[in-house]
Amino acid sequence: MFDFPIFSMPLFGHRFIFAFDAIVHVFVSHAAVGGSIVLAFAQYFAIKNNDKKFDELTYKVLFTLFILATAVGALTGIGIWVHVNIINPAAIGALLRVFFWKWFVEWIVFNVEMILLLMFFLTWKSKPIGTPAKAGHFKLVVGYAVASWLTMAIITAILGFQMTPGNWLASEFPAKPDYVASLMNPSWIPSLGFRTFFAILWASAGAMVLTWFFTKDDAETRQKGIRFFGKFLYASVIPLLVFGYWYYLQFPQAAKDLFSVGAVTRRFAVDPQLAVQITLGLVALAVVSSAYLFFRPTKAPMLAAIGLLVASGTLIGEFERVREFVRKPYIIYGYMYANGIRVQDMPLINKEGYLKQAVFLPDELRKITPENKVKVGEQLYLFECRYCHTVNGINSVKTRVKGWDEATIYHRIGQLNSPATPYMPPFAGTDEERAALAAYLVTLNADSKH
Amino acid sequence: MQFNFIPNDLPLPIPTGGLEAVDVVLTVLLVVAWLVHILFINVLLGASTGSVYFNKRGARENNPVFDRVAYLLTTPVTICENMGALWGVAPLLLISVMFTPLFYAAAIMNSPQWLHIIYGNIAAFLLSYLYKYTWHKLEHRKSLHLAIGTAAVALFLTLPLVFMATVQLYMTPTTWTLNTHFWDALFRADTFFRLVHFYLASFAVTGLFMMIYGTAKRKSDDEVTRQAGDVLVNTGKSWFLLPTVLNLFAGPLVLFHFPSYGIENFFNAGWYWLIILGVVSILGAAYLTIKDFFNPDLSKGKLWSIVGLAFITVLSMATLRHGMRLSLTSEAMAQSKAQSDDFVARSKAASEEAKNAQKAAAVATLSPAEVALEKNGCLACHSADQKLVGPAYKDVAQKGYSDEQIVALIYAPKPENWPDFIPMPPQPQLPKEDAAIIAKWINGLK
Ligand code: HEC
Ligand code: HEC
Repeated sequence: MFDFPIFSMPLFGHRFIFAFDAIVHVFVSHAAVGGSIVLAFAQYFAIKNNDKKFDELTYKVLFTLFILATAVGALTGIGIWVHVNIINPAAIGALLRVFFWKWFVEWIVFNVEMILLLMFFLTWKSKPIGTPAKAGHFKLVVGYAVASWLTMAIITAILGFQMTPGNWLASEFPAKPDYVASLMNPSWIPSLGFRTFFAILWASAGAMVLTWFFTKDDAETRQKGIRFFGKFLYASVIPLLVFGYWYYLQFPQAAKDLFSVGAVTRRFAVDPQLAVQITLGLVALAVVSSAYLFFRPTKAPMLAAIGLLVASGTLIGEFERVREFVRKPYIIYGYMYANGIRVQDMPLINKEGYLKQAVFLPDELRKITPENKVKVGEQLYLFECRYCHTVNGINSVKTRVKGWDEATIYHRIGQLNSPATPYMPPFAGTDEERAALAAYLVTLNADSKH
Repeated sequence: MQFNFIPNDLPLPIPTGGLEAVDVVLTVLLVVAWLVHILFINVLLGASTGSVYFNKRGARENNPVFDRVAYLLTTPVTICENMGALWGVAPLLLISVMFTPLFYAAAIMNSPQWLHIIYGNIAAFLLSYLYKYTWHKLEHRKSLHLAIGTAAVALFLTLPLVFMATVQLYMTPTTWTLNTHFWDALFRADTFFRLVHFYLASFAVTGLFMMIYGTAKRKSDDEVTRQAGDVLVNTGKSWFLLPTVLNLFAGPLVLFHFPSYGIENFFNAGWYWLIILGVVSILGAAYLTIKDFFNPDLSKGKLWSIVGLAFITVLSMATLRHGMRLSLTSEAMAQSKAQSDDFVARSKAASEEAKNAQKAAAVATLSPAEVALEKNGCLACHSADQKLVGPAYKDVAQKGYSDEQIVALIYAPKPENWPDFIPMPPQPQLPKEDAAIIAKWINGLK
């Protein structure tokens, strides 16, 4: 185990700031991967028909994509790393060591992708349609699309690994990864297929909406553009569902059980139907608005464009949230809990205590006394619980223990990983430490008791 | 050397396959990738500043050549911001893997400011795109256009503050306390001088770049662009010279502000030869530039001699930078590894002990109802005879419900029955058979 200095995010909590970056990245990176594929086809279509207007439309879509992909997509991608770096260094450190060379290859491919994109974008104006130079220019976008899909393929392996690591741990003490098994983890291929088509679907939806905005006074190009991108949207639905189902089959049973809890809030555990209804509602909205755009491109109102974007965007957000949530209590399934503690180190921490292993801890808190008990408890809260809770903001621990006396809290802490709350890791530490944590938690509501 | 706060190393091997050669490859990659990254960032900072500067001069003096210089400089900005960020990833990846305990600790101490390298960067990127792609639209609203450009430059210039504080902090674990934070690291003399050295170097490197870029633009078919090329070459010379001379003074200040044990290791290992090499070749480059300072036709041969000599300096700086990193961190890394090995050994023993204890423990004989309570998570909040989050089952039994009523209450609790308690969440996951067994068992507790 290792212990780093503590960065704690008041009110919003760690998960929130991470989720903010991650969700922005999901939107933009999937648009970029799907967009590169769809744009390559669009260029092919424009060149084949020598269609100047459609070529111009493609450039406008590309321009939007370029700005978003380079300024927001690439940086929030690095941002995921940088966020986890300070939020859960143990986890990202482990992933980096297991996936180092794959990440390195990904970086090289990413270079190819970026260079091709820059060349394609910056030289567009000097290779106009109708000239022989355009054919060479077209090769750039094909290479760009292939490279951007490959980066996604590698990153998906890492995400798959976190959920379904398979038999990756060749030895526990000392921990030795099996590098091939970790790459070939069971959910890699199905989730890659799933993400590929969902990227195409999302990018096509985005391109339809952009077409709507860019062709305000050109009904013909609008119809052509929306129909063109719409075909990609519809074509990706069936493979998306097939891969999605195959992907779902790979989830561990415990994770499947958490699906309805993961979808938005714990309240859905009470009414699992509600999650299903909301999801179906979003799907219906996406279907209706895309059909409106597709079949009545010149008449469709802005509302249809926005509806399509919001519905498909929310569905993607919901999927990512569920995926993140159902992995709980782990960050690497079966190996490391969400709070960075390795499962195999639990016996030691329970025996010797967490404090004994901690590095960034004032000396006066190393031994529990009646005077420092509450302070030690606060430290333990920071060590083990701040990953998912805040004191009084999002998922506030203060509210969670409201109305409980110290003995009750003490008992509850001993059962954090019980089937009532299987998404929490068990408390790690000695009995004395558990009592100190309870002593701290009970003070949170001390003022509001009477 | 004993360090007060050094995190354990990760209990997973560094992915070299145990081969010394791969270790060397990682180091070379680190030095090279870092160098490329820094060169891109140097030009990014210099060229974006230069663009705003010439844009303003062009507007004030109504000079289309300066305006062209400014516009020409936006292309390297676009390339350098993208490639610079990208080439920053490789060193970040390598440092994170090779110096995990130190680097992560420093990044966390510098948080949330550490996140500025993402969000500040995104804002700067967007502003710089806005600056570039509104060039013609905002032709007649220059002050707005200049404000956008200045904001982008200002933001880009803040990013090195965060990087440098983190880099300086991870290399000096002797300075860590429980309360070290970003501002402490930023306002230290060592960080300050490194920043000065870095910013100056950025302008010097951009000067070299302008000389190359200008020489290429002199060949353009367009008259204004050709003149812009002349301006770039001339400006490049002074941008290269002045910061270079200043850095001859800033450099030693950087070196002597490192902790003394690091400087000692550095000299003992002979890294100082690289300093000598770097200084000699940069003096050569400066000399050649001065010789042709007023000569408007800088020949190709001279240009590449200057660039070549400067490159030797840059390469030796990048390498000795790694030397200083090793000099400062190898003892801390060794301590981290020792702590970590000790931890793993203790954990292994405890894990085996626990496994044996589990085997030895007699299988407790639980009633089917107790098994069901355990399996369905009821014991998180209830016990048979003790009030916890929920009432003791003994007390529930006193209420005189029928078995069916209890089953119904488990699926749809009525909090008003227990005013002193928080409401119980409904338990839809509980199978019907288990509910019946539990209800019967509760009523048996009377
Ligand atoms: C992996 C994330 C995670 C970690 C780590 C975690 N919790 Fe939780 N905890 C949750 C979630 C999610 C909930 C449910 C929130 C809700 O009701 O929506 C929860 C609920 C709770 C509750 C209320 C349980 C109930 O019966 O209603 C308590 C008490 C609690 N946590 C205490 C802790 C303490 C103490 C720690 C540290 C030792 C901790 N948690 C660590 C995720 C976590
Ligand atoms: C999160 C904590 C929690 C969990 C988990 C929990 N209970 Fe409860 N239970 C309570 C509380 C609090 C009350 C009293 C307030 C209420 O009834 O809403 C209660 C009340 C009850 C009652 C009395 C109902 C009444 O109205 O008199 C029964 C019976 C009961 N629980 C059974 C169960 C069973 C069976 C399970 C497991 C499937 C379970 N509980 C899980 C907290 C919990």
